[in-house]
Amino acid sequence: MSFLGLGGAPQVSSEAKIQAAEAELDLVTDMFNRLVDNCHQKCITKGYSEGDLNKNESLCIDRCVAKYFEVNVKVGENMQKLGSSGAFAGRP
Amino acid sequence: MDQLNQREQQEFQKLVEQKQMKDFMRLYSNLVERCFSDCVNDFTSSKLTSKEESCILKCSEKFLKHSERVGQRFQEQNAAMTQQMRR
Repeated sequence: MSFLGLGGAPQVSSEAKIQAAEAELDLVTDMFNRLVDNCHQKCITKGYSEGDLNKNESLCIDRCVAKYFEVNVKVGENMQKLGSSGAFAGRP
Repeated sequence: MDQLNQREQQEFQKLVEQKQMKDFMRLYSNLVERCFSDCVNDFTSSKLTSKEESCILKCSEKFLKHSERVGQRFQEQNAAMTQQMRR
């Protein structure tokens, strides 16, 4: 075990590394699944007159994914701002 | 930091495969629910009508193409984001 970086490279156990990789995979998978559900709901018309994506749907999907990422970033920034301003700390 | 050695990678790969199987089952049951809800509304018969059948076919085809396209865009956005973070 190393403390404060003493003793060379920090020793992280295999188990911990795999667990971290698993958590990351779960996070990405979860986000992707939510993205698929949300953009399907917002972009795909329910008539199903064809099996292919039409132009409107394709365009909508591209924009939907881009916006989802943008929202992701914005919410992250906002939470950081609110966190550092202490807005959450002094909750009544 | 996040480098796994070969043995760890093998172990992780096993995990990934288990998750892929689970994810596939989830996708399958989700698709059944989605297309049933969107296509089947007529219960005057216990058999699917030809109209319902064709709707289900298009519904599942469209969903798979949808999720493929989302996957492509997802990867692009993800790559762009990682690149930005490295800067």
